[in-house]
Amino acid sequence: MSQAAGEDHVHGQQWAETSHCRVAGVRHFGAFTALELVAPRVAAKAAPGQFVMVTVPGPGFLLRRPLSLFTVHGDRVGLLLEARGAGSERLTRLEVGESVDLAGPLGSAFPCVGVASALLVGGGIGCAPLQYLADELAAGSSVTAAFGFRDFRAARAAGAFAIERLWVASEDGSTGRRGTVLDILRALDVPPGTVVYACGPTPMIAAVQRWALDQGLPGYASLEAHMACGTGSCHGCVVDTARGRLRVCSEGPVFALDEVRP
Amino acid sequence: MTASLDPTQVSLSVELGPLHLEHPVVDASGTFDLLEHARRYEGDYFADFPYAAYVPKTVTADARTGNPAPRVTETPAGMINAIGLENPGVDAWIAELSTWAHLRQPVVVSVGGNEPGQYAAVVRAVEEHLAAAAPGAAPSIEGYELNVSCPNVSSGLQIGADPAATAAVVGSCRAETSRFLLAKLTPNVSDVTTAARAAVDAGADGVSLVNTFTAMVLDRDTLRPFLGNRTGGLCGPAIKPIALRMVAEVAQALPAVPLVGMGGIMSGLDALEFIACGATAVAVGAANFTGLEAPARIVAELRAELAARGLATPSAARGLALGD
Repeated sequence: MSQAAGEDHVHGQQWAETSHCRVAGVRHFGAFTALELVAPRVAAKAAPGQFVMVTVPGPGFLLRRPLSLFTVHGDRVGLLLEARGAGSERLTRLEVGESVDLAGPLGSAFPCVGVASALLVGGGIGCAPLQYLADELAAGSSVTAAFGFRDFRAARAAGAFAIERLWVASEDGSTGRRGTVLDILRALDVPPGTVVYACGPTPMIAAVQRWALDQGLPGYASLEAHMACGTGSCHGCVVDTARGRLRVCSEGPVFALDEVRP
Repeated sequence: MTASLDPTQVSLSVELGPLHLEHPVVDASGTFDLLEHARRYEGDYFADFPYAAYVPKTVTADARTGNPAPRVTETPAGMINAIGLENPGVDAWIAELSTWAHLRQPVVVSVGGNEPGQYAAVVRAVEEHLAAAAPGAAPSIEGYELNVSCPNVSSGLQIGADPAATAAVVGSCRAETSRFLLAKLTPNVSDVTTAARAAVDAGADGVSLVNTFTAMVLDRDTLRPFLGNRTGGLCGPAIKPIALRMVAEVAQALPAVPLVGMGGIMSGLDALEFIACGATAVAVGAANFTGLEAPARIVAELRAELAARGLATPSAARGLALGD
């Protein structure tokens, strides 16, 4: 439609979030797929911990899927996916040259100014936003990461990460230490004042929260939730916190570690 | 076949009872948050507000925390939700009105509750606030939509499924206000015209339909109900054909009553179909979750769909699907 639409023309360009993005790279790491998308508007505004809503191509997918930003380099954003249902499975089959619509960056970011020592704790697909955080922290912080995966196929995702001091655990013992990230944390010598950044399954967040409290360490948790809109309207993604029920998409996904109630 | 028009020749404005709407498209309560959209918009969202009226998320007398997670998931050609009328309660809601008082479009307040007195308390609180508010301190609240059809509250009773209970809610609110009163009907009944007639007889000026269909989704691993509330409300394109049928039934049974039609409207053509089934206005719900630009797109598409059929106004299309 042209100018003829008159006063009710589609002002799509005024949505900061919406971008039609070309897939520039696809890499598979076991159960995980890393996508690289050309998304200059998202990249220009993004901060670690934020997420995008991604339109799943093809008929039958009504809702967009929330995915946290895995990397941001220049005009490219990276996303890390794990096929969990039909929608995410379709996204893992995207090919270079295809396009998807992104809305974002959305939600709150990991505070990371003035952090001398950072400990990044991830579980499974929850490790994704910690790469972007590590990249952002790299200039001024000492960064250590502890990632946990359930099995060999999932642990191949560790190959998607470029973090200098990265410790890996797997529940089946196939990769790194046998056990969970908590087994890594208990073995680490963590300097006082270290800021903990956690993202992963709810039981992991609960365990990291207890551990950090015992150690007297401050921190942040990025939470996951089923979302419909991703933009604050539907109240589908609420979680319990010390401040009451809050929306993961709008007040989160990053919360203070001591305020979440996993 | 009538010759097509240029889209600029289409005049979209409609009269919904006493409400003058610049076009027929409004939001479905609970699917669209004005302030959340405004803070994500690069321009002046109040100047560019896409809907012809704003129907906020349902307000109840007391604050409600809503249902446990998970609350939403996708289904084939649709989605299911069980939010549970989470809202801050009418007093806190009123306290925030000044932050969006400059909205130009009329506001229709969605009201919820478990029994007639709770609905009436919300309407009374809003009316008292409006009577005392300084000019420009509150948005132009021109009506109420009585949500007697939320499938996700644990009152054990869906008011809208009981014509007498529906009439009691409408009657209690009618006593509190002379503003435009809509009853939002549930589709979870065998004959939707009975509830529509009960609402109108009790003093409703119009009806809106349909709310969501009570439904269930299982977790594919555990085979247990997926939603924290066990059941939820199904919406989206999957329900559109049923919603069209129900709107047509009410339009035929109560031809003089203003109708707001909704249920799976994703495009301007979908909106036009509801108008053809007798709706004066239409409400967009799940489409709001597919992109922030959806409302403006749907309005533009409706204009083009009317023009392509040589229809100069929505009124010219209204009821085309009815009768012989």
